[in-house]
Amino acid sequence: MNILLETLVYGAIAALVSGTVLPLLYRSKNTRKTAFGLSLISSILLLVFAGTVLYTGKEPVFPAIGFLPGLDFTLAADRLSAGFILLIAAVVPGVSIYSVEYVEHAKSEDGKNLQAALTNLFILAMLMVVLAGNMVGFLIFWEIMSLSSLLLVLHNYSSEENKKAGFFYFVMTNISTAFLFLGFISLFRLTGSTEFGPLEYAAGELTLPFLSLFVGFGVKAGLVPFHKWLPYAHPAAPSSVSALMSGVMLKVAVYGFLRFLLSISTPELWWGVLILTAGSLSALFGVIYALKENDIKRLLAYSSIENIGIIFTGIGLYVIFGVEGLETLALLSLVGACFHSFNHALFKSLLFLCAGSVVHATGTRKIEALGGLVKSMPATSALFMIGSVSIAALPPTNGFAGELLLYQAFFQSFAVTDPLLTVFLIIALSSFALTGALAAALFVKLFGITCLAMPRSEKSRLAEEVRKPMLIGPAVPAAFCILGGLFSKQLLSLAGWKIEFPDLLLLGFLLGLIYAALFVLIRTRTKETNPSRISETWRCGIPTVAPYMEYSSAGFSEPLVMIFKSVYRTKIVHRAEYLDRQESLVKNGNVEIRLVRFFEEYLYIPPARAIEGFSKYVSKLQNGKLDSYVLYAFLAVIVLTIATGGFV
Amino acid sequence: MIDPLFLEGIIKILFVFVLISAGLIISTRNLSSVLTTYTVQSFLLAAVSFLLYLIDGKGELLLLAGLTLASKVILIPYFISRIEEKIKIGRDLHFAYLEPTTSLLLSIGIILLSYTFLSKVFEDLPLSKLFFFGAVIGLSLTLMGMLVMFSRKKVVTKALGYLSMENGVLMFGLFVTELPFIIEVLIIIDLIILVMLTTILAVGMDSSIEEYRQKFRKLQVWTGVESQ
Repeated sequence: MNILLETLVYGAIAALVSGTVLPLLYRSKNTRKTAFGLSLISSILLLVFAGTVLYTGKEPVFPAIGFLPGLDFTLAADRLSAGFILLIAAVVPGVSIYSVEYVEHAKSEDGKNLQAALTNLFILAMLMVVLAGNMVGFLIFWEIMSLSSLLLVLHNYSSEENKKAGFFYFVMTNISTAFLFLGFISLFRLTGSTEFGPLEYAAGELTLPFLSLFVGFGVKAGLVPFHKWLPYAHPAAPSSVSALMSGVMLKVAVYGFLRFLLSISTPELWWGVLILTAGSLSALFGVIYALKENDIKRLLAYSSIENIGIIFTGIGLYVIFGVEGLETLALLSLVGACFHSFNHALFKSLLFLCAGSVVHATGTRKIEALGGLVKSMPATSALFMIGSVSIAALPPTNGFAGELLLYQAFFQSFAVTDPLLTVFLIIALSSFALTGALAAALFVKLFGITCLAMPRSEKSRLAEEVRKPMLIGPAVPAAFCILGGLFSKQLLSLAGWKIEFPDLLLLGFLLGLIYAALFVLIRTRTKETNPSRISETWRCGIPTVAPYMEYSSAGFSEPLVMIFKSVYRTKIVHRAEYLDRQESLVKNGNVEIRLVRFFEEYLYIPPARAIEGFSKYVSKLQNGKLDSYVLYAFLAVIVLTIATGGFV
Repeated sequence: MIDPLFLEGIIKILFVFVLISAGLIISTRNLSSVLTTYTVQSFLLAAVSFLLYLIDGKGELLLLAGLTLASKVILIPYFISRIEEKIKIGRDLHFAYLEPTTSLLLSIGIILLSYTFLSKVFEDLPLSKLFFFGAVIGLSLTLMGMLVMFSRKKVVTKALGYLSMENGVLMFGLFVTELPFIIEVLIIIDLIILVMLTTILAVGMDSSIEEYRQKFRKLQVWTGVESQ
């Protein structure tokens, strides 16, 4: 059994490695096809592997690979990593098939090959992070993952927007790694080992590792307030890469955090409260910002922040219930978090792939300029709708199943005895419910404005359906979305979780029956009375129906924007010059209305300014005189002497 | 066989001379006097090493004394005196950051600091008084050499400061860490190469570092073309 599992994993790794190397060696369309074929094969192998591990519960450990003295790393897989390998294996096929066609739209031949190679490397790195058995391997592959994705974000490095996105991503990913290092080093100091293992320590001793890992993984996962890189990086990257980044890479961060959290026997209550608060805020802020957004890919990026928030809500609940001794509820929340991770990977990659097709066909990312795609791109629109329905958590899709688990956990939280905690959980629940409602509105807007009604621009009117691979690609996650929803109960029990959960297959069947019955009823009724009514649309006296009469994206979100005015913090800046001293005759002036980018302007820019000022001061010390430098060294030695002598 | 206590007494006297030589290097303006002081200081060190050999009987110490004598008392001073002849400038008049008087005052502070620091560090070690003082003087000498490096303007004095710093390291090694002999040899080879390089680059030895750079630019030494 173990040999079979080993063969599967090594086979997948070998396929991905050759998928990385081949396109770098030979520049041709066939090589690129082969590279994506190899990643497809690897995902099938991984699917079998992860399924076996999850089903049988076997936990294979692979022989250690020592690649530097003292730096050997092991590969290991348990049920947790198998779950996330399954997630990778579920997303990669769609992306691979899609990329075969999509990558050909890149400008240069080198760019195409590089994109193919880096995509494979990126997948490989994410897989290895999940498979890493100790911290050394984890960090090494974590860095490779960050670097390969950075290069993919920078694929169009000549554009200013991409450069900015790349730089932002680079800085944030380094902050994440720095915190991870801090967390792992403090763990190492405590345990004296780099292995991930059960941590039988009092929670007080684990506070520093917890906080640093929470920040480290939170930055990478895009948790509010560390989320700023997502809305820059996702639109800048190629759509297939955005699908991987949003679908898988964010989940790798979730995996890392879970790996740490599950190895602790007794966490503290405030950890759970912190995680749940961050999760709820992310979910709410993510969806509120998304509602305002007019760029299709940026909107999806904000929606990822929302979904990561939902996942962290589940993790927070798990910790809280665990501390309160409610084992069943804790398990329910954890399964909810994991299942939602899996689901989000599927529908978000589906949506990003569809968005990529739309952007490719119309040449614009502005939602306002789209519309009417359901006629010109029917298949893409259908897939897009499946994604939207799933992410809006409508039954019987997988999005519904995942959120249902969390709702179940929330609803049973009356078992918590602490009144303060109960109030907190009720607040979290209401914010969670609000998030769900807003998310539904968000995707009604996205799908409605993008695909329905009349085209709003020439580009949109001339759009053509994309070619086959770019349809089959998203079709794979779309199928998974529906099947994952219908068979959610069966899937959960196959994976070995014995939890109370309604059978969505039955529900889906019943829903189908009801829809069919309604359809038939309406059809027959209308036929009897009045087959169809043909009349003129009232057009306010304008002779033809024009696209600008349609409901726009901004118009759709306007009421919500008004409600959440305090969150958007609209800033109105007046500036005027007057002709007279009494300030009654205006010479010229302007009024600017803009949204305050709250986190950027209040959280990131002030420290950045402070550091800049400090650096300017420090740079004065660098005056180019040898004497000064020796003086600094001298002073440093003196200070060191005083410090090591124990005088301070 | 000479009485070890007597030898220790002599070593203690030599310590005082080493300190005096360090003070002189800091305050003397005449370049040839600085060089002489350095030679004397190195000679004192060789003597200390030899006396330690008489007490301990370790062959390495004897070798070290010989090596110091050959390199730091004869070879290096010879090279530097050649430079000084070439540059025809006898005095280093300008100072950066510190005047000689302040430097001397600061040196007293440095010695006190080294003393308190080392007495803290060595409080648990069974180190005899002699070795403790050796360590203190070694550390102070290193720091005082550094002081010379940043407070003097002329390159020759800077080089001598560096050399005297190395003397401090040697002294510290003699008394505390039992520096492996091979490392001491390597350091000395390094020093000789340094001094030889300075000799070769003696074109601007009379200048400060900034003027030195100017001269280089003017001569275009690196491109090999002499400009007008």
